[in-house]
Amino acid sequence: MTRLEIVNPVARTLEFSVKPAPRLADWRGVTVGLYWNMKAGGDAALDRVEALLAARVPGLRFRRYTGSVGWLMRHCTPEDADRIAAEVQAVVGTTND
Amino acid sequence: MVELERRGVPTVIFTAEAFVADARRTAASLGLPGLPLAVVPAPFTNQPPAAIHAMVEAAFDQVLAGLTRPVEEPPPTAPAPADERLVYEGEDALAAWEAMTRDFLARGWSDGLPLVPPTPRAVEAMLRGTRRAPDEQVAVLEPGFGIATVEKLAANAVMAGCRPEHLPLLITAVRCLAEPKMYLRNKAMSTGPHAPLVIVNGPRARTAGLNAGLCALGPGAPSAANTALGRAVRLTMMNVGHTYPGVSDMDTIGSPLKYSLCCAENEAASPWEPYHVSRGFPADASAVTVHFVYGICELYDFQSTTPERLVQVFATAATNVAQVSTGLWLIGRRADPRYRTEEKEHNTLFLCPEHARVFAAAGWDRARLQEALYRAARVPFRILGLNKEPKAMAVAHPELAWLADHPDLPLPVVEAPSCFDIAVVGGAAGRGAYFYGAGEPVTLAVDE
Repeated sequence: MTRLEIVNPVARTLEFSVKPAPRLADWRGVTVGLYWNMKAGGDAALDRVEALLAARVPGLRFRRYTGSVGWLMRHCTPEDADRIAAEVQAVVGTTND
Repeated sequence: MVELERRGVPTVIFTAEAFVADARRTAASLGLPGLPLAVVPAPFTNQPPAAIHAMVEAAFDQVLAGLTRPVEEPPPTAPAPADERLVYEGEDALAAWEAMTRDFLARGWSDGLPLVPPTPRAVEAMLRGTRRAPDEQVAVLEPGFGIATVEKLAANAVMAGCRPEHLPLLITAVRCLAEPKMYLRNKAMSTGPHAPLVIVNGPRARTAGLNAGLCALGPGAPSAANTALGRAVRLTMMNVGHTYPGVSDMDTIGSPLKYSLCCAENEAASPWEPYHVSRGFPADASAVTVHFVYGICELYDFQSTTPERLVQVFATAATNVAQVSTGLWLIGRRADPRYRTEEKEHNTLFLCPEHARVFAAAGWDRARLQEALYRAARVPFRILGLNKEPKAMAVAHPELAWLADHPDLPLPVVEAPSCFDIAVVGGAAGRGAYFYGAGEPVTLAVDE
């Protein structure tokens, strides 16, 4: 048998850990943020989310957001995230494909 | 969304089935692998509202669950082997190499072409191309936050077929990739075919054997060094940056440009100052520029003998609205929100020496050509806006709302004349190349 020893080319990575937020225990007094990164169709999806949530939980409030920077996709800056976190208790996003 | 979770806000995001693995991997790399998803069968793009509403209705229970039920950590994906040395065995050397090849393909560590085994001896020889220590950290590469040590870069350089004199150029290219302004995360993970175009200037281009003339972008023996260096950049993006096709690189169709796209500028045949000098570096310095590009269009013209006529021809390439970057300024600027960097969309022209001489003979410098292109490459607003989100334009440029009343007004395809980057490359014929760019190029001096 022939033995071929090589240097592993794959880099180690920096590791991060974020604790998930506590989930909603009830919907009373909740304002839901609807975040759209402006990729086509995401706004229509959030329109439907708003309608479905409003029908299910009367009195629920909503706020619409997009990021303050970007182009095809508008991104949320740290300042945007601070503002959203101060204004709503949950967020539904269309930020992916 | 991970940043909102960090701030105590429960979130859920819609994700198409084909992008679930990508979303999970991204969320994991940002520290929250269990980020709740509402999975829908297809992306919302190119869908009528009724189809989008139907997908949302079908996924609504996932929205409710994501906001109200405890976040579950998904099962961990198989980690990369932590061993710094790997061993393959076979009946003979070829069989052992084939075992390595099979394993690399299975793990996604290969670009699909045969790889040179990065044996300790080969990597040690590669490391003699730099004065840097093997364990020196050159950069951290996104999207995977991979730690780019000199040794890891050397291993990937060996795999690509590089020689030791190429290693400092690879190190510089990697530093370019890691610049915040590059916003590598976007370009590496996109559904678009972002290929890193690497341009080398200065004496190190010559000592590294890079081709600037005939067939500079390959293939073949004249461009062997170009091919190897460009390939090393791609392998580094994969194995150091953890940009893996189909997993974290979600390119819709892909591009052969992503295998390798590298050359030197033909400084000897250029009537102008070298490209890196136009970007602020001394003429005797060696520099590497990386510009992510989407695609390439030939700039063919054997007829024209005046700059004005050549500009007319070039402008037809620049006004291709099917190319995403054309007129993209209308809806904002590419931006990394973490650093608030903003990039104008640039395009790179490889001017062939024959065309360059036409401009120079008429007394045109690079700046005059850039200005002429900026004025010639214009498209009516109604055409430029065909594939752009109107609401994004309203957010990015509320001051341009009046354009709705002037649909036939011609608009420039880029924000400024400087958004045309021009280098002289190639052999003796009237055939250049236009690269549709993604954001701005980054140039850095080669540091041994």
